[in-house]
Amino acid sequence: MTAQTPSLTSPLHERHLALGAKLADFGGWSMPLEYAGGGVIAEHTAVRQGVGLFDVSHLGTGTVRGPGAAAFVDRCLTNDLARIAPGQAQYTLCCLPDGEDRAGGVVDDLIAYLYGDDDVLLVPNAANAADVLGRLAAAAPEGVTVTDRHTEVAVLALQGPQSAEVLAAVGLPGSLDYMAFDRTQGTGDVTVCRTGYTGEHGYELLVEADRAGELWDALLAAGGTEQIRPCGLGARDTLRTEMGYPLHGHELSPDITPVQARAGWAVGWRKPEFWGREALLAEREAGPVRQLWGLRAPGRGIPRPGMQVLDGTGARVGEVTSGTFSPTLRAGIALALLDTAARPAPGLELAVDVRGRTSPVEVVKPPFVEPHVR
Amino acid sequence: MATPDDRRYTDQHEWAQVQGTSGAATVVRIGITDHAQDALGDIVYVQLPEVGEELTTGNPVGEVESTKSVSDVYAPLAGTVSAVNTALAETPETVNSDPYGEGWLLEIEVTGDTEDPTDGLLDAAAYQALVDQG
Repeated sequence: MTAQTPSLTSPLHERHLALGAKLADFGGWSMPLEYAGGGVIAEHTAVRQGVGLFDVSHLGTGTVRGPGAAAFVDRCLTNDLARIAPGQAQYTLCCLPDGEDRAGGVVDDLIAYLYGDDDVLLVPNAANAADVLGRLAAAAPEGVTVTDRHTEVAVLALQGPQSAEVLAAVGLPGSLDYMAFDRTQGTGDVTVCRTGYTGEHGYELLVEADRAGELWDALLAAGGTEQIRPCGLGARDTLRTEMGYPLHGHELSPDITPVQARAGWAVGWRKPEFWGREALLAEREAGPVRQLWGLRAPGRGIPRPGMQVLDGTGARVGEVTSGTFSPTLRAGIALALLDTAARPAPGLELAVDVRGRTSPVEVVKPPFVEPHVR
Repeated sequence: MATPDDRRYTDQHEWAQVQGTSGAATVVRIGITDHAQDALGDIVYVQLPEVGEELTTGNPVGEVESTKSVSDVYAPLAGTVSAVNTALAETPETVNSDPYGEGWLLEIEVTGDTEDPTDGLLDAAAYQALVDQG
């Protein structure tokens, strides 16, 4: 392995080492992949059946504040902020603006927390945080300030059917509607949001970095009776892939538009303005040349990112963007961008070139496993 | 887990252990080491060769796939595949839980003049030193 030492670590780094975590680089951050005594499958299963706690502090955090901050964000990012009220969060996209090369391609996908008309918090991906916040800062009108708080805010994800009980046990608000959040000033400044990336009932918690350890310890202790597991980013990936959730760099990228990735639901098509609007409207009108689908392998052979998808004649019809072993289905699953010309539809039999062997797959519409987020 | 000294190793993190003889050939069982299974994580799929296949030293003979990556298995010796561990098709996780025992991968028959064809491979101490070096 060629390991380039990532420069950044979470405020929980020492705790991860003490828990025997295997670390890996995620967008320049050294983060837990899995924990000793756990492993991807045990951690995945804990989240599907009980409760798991993730450190996702590599995720970026930035604030956009000042008069008209929310209206400004709404003119840049794709989703329609008018659909939500203060106290709610929204999945949205930052696309390349019209006039730029690859207009409509995705700079990043992120969560926007609407605290108020003059206060929005953004949670972009680790690797793209600086790009997103830099673009917003450059476009911000007089009086609106964009502040990168990446290293000042830790992010924990408490996920699974037993997550509400654990949250209640540490005295944090768990009775929230899906995508609603609440900010408490008890033990530090904590924002709890009913969201996640696993397909289970769960929460993401934003906490000041210097209070993150205390919160992590309290949640693990409170979850003892529920057999809580610390979970690494390996399980986060198998969980999100079972849901068909996109991961930037795989299903979304500057070369992949939300129309292709079926993320059009996160685009406010009726808004008069957002970055990439003209390009995306044109693509939606014309129909995308390729679109995201699920692939299911009949057995344990696993399609991996970058593998070619072939039709019955052996012609290339697409490419795998994510693929893993589904611990729930005990079979290989994948997400793939398939050419519209190949007329993909659920049930269509295709094949994946797995290192020179042709391995059969069936086209399916994700999710692969029933979600329980609501 | 200690590295057992009842077998030999390769720098590709495989082990080879003489099982006995079959006519003029020596039967050698092959698997991956504890270090290898730990580095891979949860193993979910093992691709093995067909019985009867001829193997050349150093060539890939199969694959061990985990939730996060796939790793080739290389032939530590030249020979003919005489058995594969078919139980791994249903329970590949055995390679994680018992890499030196029930998690073996395949057996080959090696012909030649040497009494112990694994003699040229690393002994347990040498392999352990290699792992410790990282």
